[in-house]
Amino acid sequence: MKNRIRSLLVLFLALGFLIGVCGVAMAQEIKIGGIMDTTGATSDVGKDYAIGMEEAFKYINAQGGVNGKPIKYTWFDYGYRIPEAITKYRLLKRLGVVAIQGWGTGDTEALSPTVNKDQMPYVSASYSAHLTDPAKTPYNLFFSSDYSTNARAALTAWFDHKWPTKKDYGKRKPRLACSYMFASPYASAPIKALKDHAVMLGFDIGDDQDVSLFALDTKSQVMAMKTFQPDVVWHGNTTMSVAATMRDSFALDLGADHIMNNWALDENLPRLGGEAAEGAIGATPCAFYGQPFKNMDIVVAAGKKYSPGVPQEKRLIRSIQAWGNALLLWEALIRADKAGDLTGKGIMQKGFESLRNFDIGLGAAPITFTETDHRPGTGCLIQEWKDGKFQEVANVNLKQRWPEKWEKEWLGW
Amino acid sequence: MSTVWLPCGDYHQDYAEDQGWWQARFIKFKMILLLAVVFIGIPQFLPEYYVSVGTMVGYTAMGALGVQLLIGFTGLITLGHAAFIAVGAYTSTLLVLQFPWPGFIVDWGLAYPISILVAAIAAGLWSVLFGLPSAKVKGFYLILTTMAAQFITVDFILTQYVSQIGGRGQAFSLPPGVIKIGPWAIDTDLKIYYLMAVLLTLMIIVLANLLRSKPGRAWVAIRDNDIAAEALGINIVRYKLLAFFVAGFFAGLAGAFWVSNTAALSPEHFPWFWSLWLVGVILIGGVGSIHGAIFGALFMVLVMEGLQWAVIPMSEYFPRMLMAFASIKDAAFGLAICAFLIYEPNGLAYRWWQAKNYFNLWPFSY
Repeated sequence: MKNRIRSLLVLFLALGFLIGVCGVAMAQEIKIGGIMDTTGATSDVGKDYAIGMEEAFKYINAQGGVNGKPIKYTWFDYGYRIPEAITKYRLLKRLGVVAIQGWGTGDTEALSPTVNKDQMPYVSASYSAHLTDPAKTPYNLFFSSDYSTNARAALTAWFDHKWPTKKDYGKRKPRLACSYMFASPYASAPIKALKDHAVMLGFDIGDDQDVSLFALDTKSQVMAMKTFQPDVVWHGNTTMSVAATMRDSFALDLGADHIMNNWALDENLPRLGGEAAEGAIGATPCAFYGQPFKNMDIVVAAGKKYSPGVPQEKRLIRSIQAWGNALLLWEALIRADKAGDLTGKGIMQKGFESLRNFDIGLGAAPITFTETDHRPGTGCLIQEWKDGKFQEVANVNLKQRWPEKWEKEWLGW
Repeated sequence: MSTVWLPCGDYHQDYAEDQGWWQARFIKFKMILLLAVVFIGIPQFLPEYYVSVGTMVGYTAMGALGVQLLIGFTGLITLGHAAFIAVGAYTSTLLVLQFPWPGFIVDWGLAYPISILVAAIAAGLWSVLFGLPSAKVKGFYLILTTMAAQFITVDFILTQYVSQIGGRGQAFSLPPGVIKIGPWAIDTDLKIYYLMAVLLTLMIIVLANLLRSKPGRAWVAIRDNDIAAEALGINIVRYKLLAFFVAGFFAGLAGAFWVSNTAALSPEHFPWFWSLWLVGVILIGGVGSIHGAIFGALFMVLVMEGLQWAVIPMSEYFPRMLMAFASIKDAAFGLAICAFLIYEPNGLAYRWWQAKNYFNLWPFSY
């Protein structure tokens, strides 16, 4: 009898110890949330991003997490529905996450007042310039150049390098038309900045064309553009609908060059667009999957290890973008944890806003955040799909070229 | 007022008594208890997350009440209700952000309350516009005309023109402190919940009163047989349009309320799918009953939230479940509608009615 009691006591003590240890382990875990789109309007680029993000956190944990504390990454697909994103955000908050990896412009901007109120660092795949002014959105960040910078840089690169090769160069003003989904905050976010830049460079601007993110047939929009005879078309959507527009432009002989935002230019564009995609020029905030840049070997190895079912040849730049944001958050967490302050405010001030020319590799520009400016870089690399590969057109540094406007006028839009 | 404590059988002797709010002291007690739960229990004793879930239930119910009035009480099938919610949301936002209010209105925190009322009226009138075809068409044809409301309102007018006001692009962002009722800035989950609870309670009272008055009887008559209703002297066009106005008014209230929850607005907030979702809410909750809209909203929001909690631990073993969660949710929505249509076509409200009747006579039912 005594033995049985002793055994039970030992068992209880062991259980208690185990629960205690687990409790300590749980307490040291750092919870990060994710709101992704793998089934909605932007899932053509969102799936690979979500996979890349998951791989990045697995890799980070394999490296010891944040100063030895593992990251518990919980994410949801919200199907690009904003009410859904809001409920997901609240669920993640309830789960006790200290920062969130978010997705689209509509939901990130909709959640922005809430994350500011909750002091929740929100690293998004939306690079809307509206999220870069800490006076308005102090808890929003991302590793990439913002959409407005992308648009200004792409237009500048075309103006500098392509327009002089046209037969009408010097005889008249160049003509710009914009094709994007009006209802999408993502697609429409840089339009004001783009047009402002076009006016500054002396462009004539045609009517905008409304092209859905789901569009497969854009002939009517291309026909409407044809009456204006643009020299260059800005595409603000994601890969699938941009490829459709480029195909129709090719078929209807629009005769314009195509420049686009970063979410349109990826490895799938030539696959979907075929010969129509030749000459596509776009903003690239980081390297394409597998390109020989610092840390790319880690990304590729993690891809092979953690997602063996996803063929390497089908991986996209979207994974690299996810890694960019994951590595950015990792560094901020490491710094904030070292400073002993893993609160939202601590992660922002002692983490993100202490970064000065921080190099994440992956072909991305060095990152700097200050408490008055959340634009991570000052320009953007512009690349072109030509002769079966992506080639550099220009590395546009807007701050160097227009320092006064960059400092005083262009922040936050 | 009845003096009895328990509603034990039907002893009503006239219409007024039959339709009375407080038919027994037990019912009064029950309603007071319900109000205590809604206004004190949930906001004061539950964590913030559950309060925000309560807000989503309320927002869904606010939209569903209008759909219930059109489909459940008047027999006018609608698949464009999200458009009227959008009109309410945009009217309220534009009034708050762009209208040159006199200083004292802003100082006294009256801009948002006034905007709610104007938004509701604007959405009501907009709804009447798309209700006009109901004078000539019904059934499937009416579904298509109401769907047109979605495409014309959200995809065309709001996206192409209204969103451009102010030069921001597509999205409006409401700075903190702008949404204010009197001295209170609606800036926490708790305050948003209370706003929802007050609006929803008022909407239920208004709808319940309308339903037991002349318009309510006319609506039900039109639903049951519009030709017979017309033969009885009911002006069916007038009452159909009145139904559209009230449903639109409710949608406008829901939209104006939604703004306080997000503090940002874009056409993406009002997809056509939301109209379909609201019809699903009343199908599951029970068509033709105010309870149905509430039970449907409770079911749709709580079950989907529960599904989320179930998926989180399972994702350890099936990581792709998170990737497919939105699809799982849509599948659950479709499955729930199929299951209810097959096994309980009268919805949850009917089950509630059965349970209530059982306990009314308990323990001496016969």
